[in-house]
Amino acid sequence: MGTREDEYDYLFKVVLIGDSGVGKSSLLSRFTRNEFNLESKSTIGVEFATRSIEVDGKTIKAQIWDTAGQERYRAITSAYYRGAVGALLVYDIAKHLSYENVERWLRELRDHADQNILIMLVGNKSDLRHLRSIPTEEAKAFAETNGLSFIETSALDSTNVEPAFQNILTEIYRIVSQKQMRDPPEGDVIRPDAEPADLRPSAADSVRKQCCQ
Amino acid sequence: MESYQTEYDKDGLLSETFWRTPQRAVPGRPLQRIAQNEVMSGSSYQQFQASVNDAWDLGDDEIISGIAETKISKAISQSVALNVINSHRNSTKNVNRSDVKIETETVKPQEEAVAVKKNEVKKIGGSSSASGPIRHYPGRPRAVRPSALISREESSESKLERFQQVLESSVLDLNELKHLSWSGIPVKARAVTWRLLAGYLPANTERRAETLDSKRADYKHLVRQYYDAEREEETYRQIHIDIPRMSPLVALFQQSTVQVMFERILYIWAIRHPASGYVQGINDLVTPFFMVFLQEAAPNKELDNLPLDSLSEVQRDIIEADSFWCLSKFLDSVQDNYIFAQLGIQYKVNQLKELIRRIDLPLHEHLQTHGVDYLQFSFRWMNNLLTREIPLPCTIRLWDTYLAESDGFAIFQLYVCAAFLLHWRERLMQERDFQGLMILLQNVPTQNWTDSNISMLVAEAYRLKFAFADAPNHLHNAGKSDR
Repeated sequence: MGTREDEYDYLFKVVLIGDSGVGKSSLLSRFTRNEFNLESKSTIGVEFATRSIEVDGKTIKAQIWDTAGQERYRAITSAYYRGAVGALLVYDIAKHLSYENVERWLRELRDHADQNILIMLVGNKSDLRHLRSIPTEEAKAFAETNGLSFIETSALDSTNVEPAFQNILTEIYRIVSQKQMRDPPEGDVIRPDAEPADLRPSAADSVRKQCCQ
Repeated sequence: MESYQTEYDKDGLLSETFWRTPQRAVPGRPLQRIAQNEVMSGSSYQQFQASVNDAWDLGDDEIISGIAETKISKAISQSVALNVINSHRNSTKNVNRSDVKIETETVKPQEEAVAVKKNEVKKIGGSSSASGPIRHYPGRPRAVRPSALISREESSESKLERFQQVLESSVLDLNELKHLSWSGIPVKARAVTWRLLAGYLPANTERRAETLDSKRADYKHLVRQYYDAEREEETYRQIHIDIPRMSPLVALFQQSTVQVMFERILYIWAIRHPASGYVQGINDLVTPFFMVFLQEAAPNKELDNLPLDSLSEVQRDIIEADSFWCLSKFLDSVQDNYIFAQLGIQYKVNQLKELIRRIDLPLHEHLQTHGVDYLQFSFRWMNNLLTREIPLPCTIRLWDTYLAESDGFAIFQLYVCAAFLLHWRERLMQERDFQGLMILLQNVPTQNWTDSNISMLVAEAYRLKFAFADAPNHLHNAGKSDR
């Protein structure tokens, strides 16, 4: 039963991180199923979903890992940063603390993720206009100084959710395809059933070490 | 399909899945061709009986209750395990499983279980056809329906009578109560039995009323001491975020009265257990206690929409205090699940991996080949004790057994997770890539599960534990020599 879901040109692993309750799981369900789920319990450990999009006539499959926000889970969740080529770092525009913690999350990524990971800062819950506590300009400026891309979204009314994922996936695609043009793949990456793409300068020492002794 | 089945027969201890349930089409997933009525047919009954009659007999009760006090001699357990392994290895497709029975005296529990199963299957059969395709999403468990707790009645009055006899005798036989409880507690006897099994209510009848009074007063004191005082901000915030989103679609849990009760229970537990503190997911572990004690206070009521304010303050205080104390006792045996880095879970996930490798090498290799890491799916199973994977009434039934496990349920839960994983092995083997495997493992279709599924799950877990717990090397070596 081959479906189109199974066929893709690129597979990119992306992680969703940020404080508890900022709407990471809601962004994921809006993007992968176009749904806003009231039944959105806290994420335990990590959860997983995929969706494919088209860029330049190529099918890109995003493998998205949604992580638990609670500090206690970091030892577990940081294991899942490995191999990720993109990260959506989410805060809640109405919760100042979740914005303050963005720096801590950036440190997490620096410590545990590949150094070339693309990071997008996402201010979620933009529908809560009357409760906003972080001005758009402030977050934008912060993103610029830290070399992050930036967007504000609402998983509830679906504003900008599609562009957020589209942008980061497209950007990853550009980097990967340029890299491929510079040094063509030696049959080791990115094609279907391969490992998720790797943005590091050398892709040779890639991820999979199958261990079943 | 056939080829791996054959291989599975050769290698595995299970030469067929140990039960079958009606399975409906899931978009994007291969169809399992099992007719609905097959479940109720005679062949399936025999299949079912054959698949569990080596697992769980009334006589086995002695073994369970004895585990805490008496270690089964290694030599004996190893020889039993060897026998089991050998007879399974020698078995052909239509093996008569009676030759691997551990005890053979009576099969009454299975008969009861099957009776329940038949009834419930009929009920499901009636409703499922109208309910449309299953929709399940990554990490989004289905809404629970606490009302199901009420509609489900005892499989037999006689079981309730047996409970009442034990509960009303002047000197409580706790072992006997565990025996009875392991295979499920009748609704009417559940609240008091849980209190006893949790070690909250003393076995000595004379001390009970006094103990309850003082414990409930203690809890009120704790509320004043910790919750009504200045709170530890970080802990409180996390609990406060998690409670409202526990069951957003069930009106019962949207009442602020209920949410504050949960908040107090969790906050006080967290403050009193600084080694772990509050960990997301523990909130789900309050729910079964809360529901059981709520049901006791409001018997025969529809709980989904029950306004808590319709109960007296005294009743609400009892529900809250008893939930707190029972949760505390319950979590004692799994506290290392929630300490820093959740080492208890990491350890158990590794044990699960090792266990599956020994029990079902083809499945293990299938998961490994596609890059599925056990931590990715079983972490939640262990952190939330399967509460996210099965409907609430099933969780409550499962906890009957957990609470009745004499040596605490920490080890047993590992085998329940193994049995749970093996239950889906046919479907898992049909998945051809990482995505498919992960989506299935995070959304196993249990929405139609009933108590009978849990009875079979724990029976299988018990069988696995008996065969593997004390003989860690046998299958390992056997597997090597086979290959």
